[in-house]
Amino acid sequence: MTWLDELRTSGLLGTGRHPAPLPPPDLGFRPPEGLPPEEFLLDQVALADVVTRAARRPDRAETARLPDPAPPDDAPEASGQAAHLLDLLLTQPPVGLELRNQLVTDWLQLAAESGLRVPHRLIPALLTLAATKQGVAEHLHPAIGIRGLWLQHLTRPADSGLPPGNGTEWAELGSADATMELERLRRSDPQAARDLLRTRWDTLSARERAADLGAFAIGLQPDDEDLLERALDDKAKSVREVAASLLDRLPSSARAGRMAARLRPLLGMKGLLRKKFEIDTPAEPDAAALRDGIAADPRSGEPDRLGRLDTIIRGAPLDVWTTAAGRNPAATLAMLEGETRVVNAILATAVLRGDLEWVRALFDVRRDVRLLHSLPSGEREDSLVRHIRGGSAEPMSLVPLLRDMPRPWGPQLTSEALRLITAKGGGQLAGMLADVLPVALPPEAADQCRRQLERPDDEAPRRRVLRDVVQYQSFRQSLTKAFR
Amino acid sequence: MSIMVRWSEEKVIGAAPDESSLAAARKLARPGPWSDTGSNDVLVWGKCQGSGRTPYQVSVDIAAPAYRCSCPSRKFPCKHALALLLLWARGEAAEVSAETAGYAQEWVDQRGDRVATRERRHQGQQGQQADPVAQARRQADRLALMDAGIFDFARWLTDLARTGLAAARNQPYSWWDGVAARLVDAQLPGLAEQVRAMGSDVHARADWADHLLFHAGRWWALTKAWRMRDELTPREVADLRTAVGWARASAEILASEALPGPWLVLGACRSDEGRLQQQRTWLRGPDGTVVVVLDFAAQGQALATPRLAGAELDATLVQYPGSAPQRGMFTGPPVPRGLARSLGDGCSIAQALDMESAAVSLSPWQDRHPVLLAGVRFCLGDGGWLRDPAGDALPLVDAPLESLLTLTGGHPVDVFGELEDGRVRPLSVVVGQRVVTP
Repeated sequence: MTWLDELRTSGLLGTGRHPAPLPPPDLGFRPPEGLPPEEFLLDQVALADVVTRAARRPDRAETARLPDPAPPDDAPEASGQAAHLLDLLLTQPPVGLELRNQLVTDWLQLAAESGLRVPHRLIPALLTLAATKQGVAEHLHPAIGIRGLWLQHLTRPADSGLPPGNGTEWAELGSADATMELERLRRSDPQAARDLLRTRWDTLSARERAADLGAFAIGLQPDDEDLLERALDDKAKSVREVAASLLDRLPSSARAGRMAARLRPLLGMKGLLRKKFEIDTPAEPDAAALRDGIAADPRSGEPDRLGRLDTIIRGAPLDVWTTAAGRNPAATLAMLEGETRVVNAILATAVLRGDLEWVRALFDVRRDVRLLHSLPSGEREDSLVRHIRGGSAEPMSLVPLLRDMPRPWGPQLTSEALRLITAKGGGQLAGMLADVLPVALPPEAADQCRRQLERPDDEAPRRRVLRDVVQYQSFRQSLTKAFR
Repeated sequence: MSIMVRWSEEKVIGAAPDESSLAAARKLARPGPWSDTGSNDVLVWGKCQGSGRTPYQVSVDIAAPAYRCSCPSRKFPCKHALALLLLWARGEAAEVSAETAGYAQEWVDQRGDRVATRERRHQGQQGQQADPVAQARRQADRLALMDAGIFDFARWLTDLARTGLAAARNQPYSWWDGVAARLVDAQLPGLAEQVRAMGSDVHARADWADHLLFHAGRWWALTKAWRMRDELTPREVADLRTAVGWARASAEILASEALPGPWLVLGACRSDEGRLQQQRTWLRGPDGTVVVVLDFAAQGQALATPRLAGAELDATLVQYPGSAPQRGMFTGPPVPRGLARSLGDGCSIAQALDMESAAVSLSPWQDRHPVLLAGVRFCLGDGGWLRDPAGDALPLVDAPLESLLTLTGGHPVDVFGELEDGRVRPLSVVVGQRVVTP
């Protein structure tokens, strides 16, 4: 024990229990005689304090903690008004946080277009925001420049977009990383991903097989059928389910043919003037049906026959219906009036397969977001505008549809939406769209919102949303000006 | 020399006209409603936001004593004056200020004539700064209070040593607060602040045992130095005064020699020491003298605008007595006249520590030293490090490391900061011929 350690012990326990040591002779101090023990300790601690502070030596830092200096930035720094506006958005946002995040994203895009970079001092705040806001994170590069990238690698290696498992063999990756790697490969070369999984198939656990097979949802193609068909015989139920759900999306597959054969006998007709489908429930599944994913009888209680019908509908090609009806999809749907559950199953199938003809026909009877989503973007907006102009739409039922539209909206949708919002009682609709409206409305709409705000209006939520739109657009305008 | 005698809380309570005024004053005795408070050796003043639109203006002549408030109350002193005095007595507001508020000064001037006549009538009674007899008595009163306080504090330290630091750590915060309150009553607010900070440090710091042990030693040395203050040099006495928080009247400082500029702002730092916010601005004069200007504000009040690091200021400064780095005060509002492209020649980490050694041996109560380090790089690792070309390193404290790394890009730069407890608090860095703050 050194003198200091002795002092520490004595201090912690108290001189009542552990008397102070004698000072080391080489310090050259002689304590006076007859000091009370506590003063004897305090005198020495006072000395130790000064000695310690007057004799500090520097640490030797290992070079490991020394980061490599950043390479020079090649893009010019955004300055003046542009830099000032970003600073404002990050430190004292003059708008709500949702709008702020959108405006920061806009700033990054404008900077990238002008070939300018974020001033160094603002990079940390920007990275902090990007850590929780996906929209901002996606547009960080190239605007944050070399210095920003350098800092990201240094302090947040996880966010800097390095692909996992760099340079390691796929077989050696942990299961989650392996699945991610397979998804990446699937995007670039579906064939190679299939071969890779096929060669490794027998070495994987059930959970890994199910997860890896799930990756085939990316770029699914008829060539995948062999592997999926094989997976229908898998020991693990989870793997069989993944395979069946993927085969649901391949109407040309053998399984779809088997499902069609099960569906056809169930479809009958009734009615002389207005024909309607009469649909039977399927019989007990045989071994082949069980293999195709149709549910077996439960241990007790009634089997779910309607559930089995759903499974068959989702697996069979949709033209089974048009062939049976001898009409096009729209007319076929008319014959299914009242068969809510069947139409739901058909809808899910059409969306999953992206079958445009069916999607259009379905959208005329069902205003479902999923359908709108399956339409090509130009057509999406037209369909929605037609639907709104049809006038039968309940404004609140439009909320999910409008929220889901690609932004900014075109002129027609903009004017329809504003018409609904500014109509009597449109405040509720405005409130439900509060977070998307500023970005969804094109800059031209700001004037109309401004005029609307000049009128007396007792619907507070509507006023707030319109004010947000005007604020966002005017701030956005300052941004574009600053980058000019 | 005139000394402001800070009243004890008992004295304020004694001045209350009745119980209800006192109760009302206690409710008002929090920093919230107060603004623009200040004091000098004869006056305490401040504005209190009441229910009306304009705040009440309160002025108290602590020497007479006499009270004035713009509120309609017919009680003397009114609840506002009492509340202000309570805050001042606890050291929570009305810190010593160079400039007397206009309304307080006006009132003094009005009363000046009357006081002067009264002075002539009662030779040597209270009131005027220029009266040596009254002054000597006030000084003696204050010293008697402080002596008793130091004696009391020394006894507390020996108790601490006997029962042990581990036992002290198990005490509730109120125990530390009680010790601090007694020190405030004994006119030792500087010590009180240190004890209060320790009450939270023993739970907040990983190295609490060493921190408390060494501070106890330092406090003990201070009690001994206090008792032998008659044998110390004026400089040593001045350092001791600063350590215990014995304020000086600005008039006395302003009377000392003025140092001409231009003064270069090396860096500034704001800290929040419990009940008081403090702003430290480090400046270097043409002859290399480094001084620190302190601004204070109660919680919730705005501090003076910070000076821009790297700015050259046209101003004259006066220095408080004591060891370097001395505290300074501007004699008038400084005029910025441009920005420096560098902070001058820095030193190595080893040299900085040698300077710290020298400073500690001069004044054991100084625990914060200005350093300008040359060509150092910021490194990662628990709170961050500074590393100089020789490979020596110092840990950082309160450093916004990400910001510093981004600004410097990991390249060697000159850094100005405060060396404290073997760690550096970086306040400004020189990047590409500009002085920037993280």
